[in-house]
Amino acid sequence: MIKIENISKNLGEFFLKNVTLDIGTGEYFMILGPTGAGKTILLEAIAGIYNPDSGKILMDGRDITNIPPRRRNISMVYQDYMLFPHLTVEKNIAFGLKLKKIPIEEIKEKIEDISRMLNIRHLFHRFPGTLSGGEKQRVAIARAVVTEPNALLLDEPLSALDTKTREDLRHELKKIHSVTGITIIHVTHSFEEVFSLGDSVAVMSEGMIVQVGRPDDVFRRPNCEFVANFVGVENLFKGNSTINNGISDIDIDGAVVVSAICKSGDCTVSIRPEDILISRNKIESSARNSFNGKIVAVIDKGATIKIVVDCGIPISAIITRRSLDDMGLREGMSAYLTFKASDVHLM
Amino acid sequence: MSNRGNVSKIKIVSIFFSLLLALFILVQIICVVTHTTLPALITSVCSKEIRFAIELSLITSLISTILCIIISIPTAYALARYDFFGKSLINTILDAPLALPPLVAGVGLLILFGTTPFGKALAEAGIVFVFTPLGIVVAQFFVNVPFMFRILRGTFQGINPRYEHVAQTLGCTDTQAFRYVTLPMAKNGLLAGSIITWSKGIGEFGAALMLAGATRMKTETLPISLYLNMSCGELNLAIAAATILIIISLGSLFIFERYGGFARVF
Repeated sequence: MIKIENISKNLGEFFLKNVTLDIGTGEYFMILGPTGAGKTILLEAIAGIYNPDSGKILMDGRDITNIPPRRRNISMVYQDYMLFPHLTVEKNIAFGLKLKKIPIEEIKEKIEDISRMLNIRHLFHRFPGTLSGGEKQRVAIARAVVTEPNALLLDEPLSALDTKTREDLRHELKKIHSVTGITIIHVTHSFEEVFSLGDSVAVMSEGMIVQVGRPDDVFRRPNCEFVANFVGVENLFKGNSTINNGISDIDIDGAVVVSAICKSGDCTVSIRPEDILISRNKIESSARNSFNGKIVAVIDKGATIKIVVDCGIPISAIITRRSLDDMGLREGMSAYLTFKASDVHLM
Repeated sequence: MSNRGNVSKIKIVSIFFSLLLALFILVQIICVVTHTTLPALITSVCSKEIRFAIELSLITSLISTILCIIISIPTAYALARYDFFGKSLINTILDAPLALPPLVAGVGLLILFGTTPFGKALAEAGIVFVFTPLGIVVAQFFVNVPFMFRILRGTFQGINPRYEHVAQTLGCTDTQAFRYVTLPMAKNGLLAGSIITWSKGIGEFGAALMLAGATRMKTETLPISLYLNMSCGELNLAIAAATILIIISLGSLFIFERYGGFARVF
């Protein structure tokens, strides 16, 4: 669908260096990297806002490297929404359709459909300045999607939102992707987003692509220290959940973790390492998750110590140096891990 | 008690000075508007000469303001958005008329249009600036265009170029993106700039005096009328012109503060 061949661009502070990517039709493609990695310029180069200094961009086999943005039919949503403040929500969404000289009736129908899908129908006559962050982002997404673009580029669409709104919008994005089948390129610095949304991920650093692959692979097998450190999210697992008496039993490669969040089917599980209690003997408590395993690593992180216990799946816990000394934990020893069902997060 | 002990000297002194300055300004305005009686003022305003001055001032300032807008929009946009060779030099040159005394600007314009082949060619083609109302328009334009330009430049700089980027991905050419997105977003700056330019244009004296001269009932704008009538002792007419100028200035200032507070002139 979109092939990026060896493009470079120097904008001084930000730059791209020999970026090559192949994004398949209908793929949900994530670009992950820290601030200043060049993620936004890469999106802007794909959208056609900057022409690369060298290299080529192909769309469906056609060279679009020097074609202006309006003839690419690729929509872009920036992190800070960029809704036109002088136009109502309705006119913002209709903006692209009007330029394409689509008949009024058809425009009405289209913006009606997309607004129902994103639940923003009631905002039509408001101006962007009066909307909340989540509402603005929905409108921005509607404006981008309603023109039925070949691809949708999202520049950190969830970063500026609060946790609840972010969660909701993540579901909307998933829905848009499955309903429209549109190719999405989504830039983020959060590995959790990559895990819950992406079919594929490219990790970027200092203007270069350092690793491309399925999120699971990149997470399990980082190919360099940068990726390992950057995606260093602990205790993130793919599993299959079944609901039992108001709690979820999630099967992760044979190990069963209990969560207080009810969700069935394939899901992503995350447990924060600091929520896990580690002990040498089994602790009797109300916590529903208790695992026994062998300590496979004790990693000094400065202020804290990370301990990885193999319980069928590798689970990390973080403790203080004092606790480590008190318990005398070492590699190869047997240990118990205990954590509450309410601390097991499902995505 | 501790509060009383804490009353700072600098607070009292500085507030005292600000009140003194405000009083000074207020007193001189009041002096002008109360110098004659209301009936005398009305008679003067209705006189043929003052009516001519009002009309000429309105027409010339309106035309020069429109010219300032037309020229400043592309200029300000270029200097806000693009990097090009000599940009900072051009910025400095464009600001120069702000620092130049209007009389000096007027002399410059007089020499340009009165003595150079360029000016003579224009005059032969029937476009005469020296000692004509057209000269007033040019003088107002020259002295006031930096105000419009600076306000618009600030306004365009304050509009994130990403708005245009989004518009382009939605199907706009770069010109359409400017026309449909950036320009409407610059509305407040345009309004503020127009008001300040127009009000400065109405009050323009020095450069207009040099280029267009002070001919009664020909190049007699409100400030020129004030000057002419003051020189020959027609105090009532002079005060009438001054009062109208005060009303226009204060009205413009009010509108500017209200809509253009974000735009920095200096």
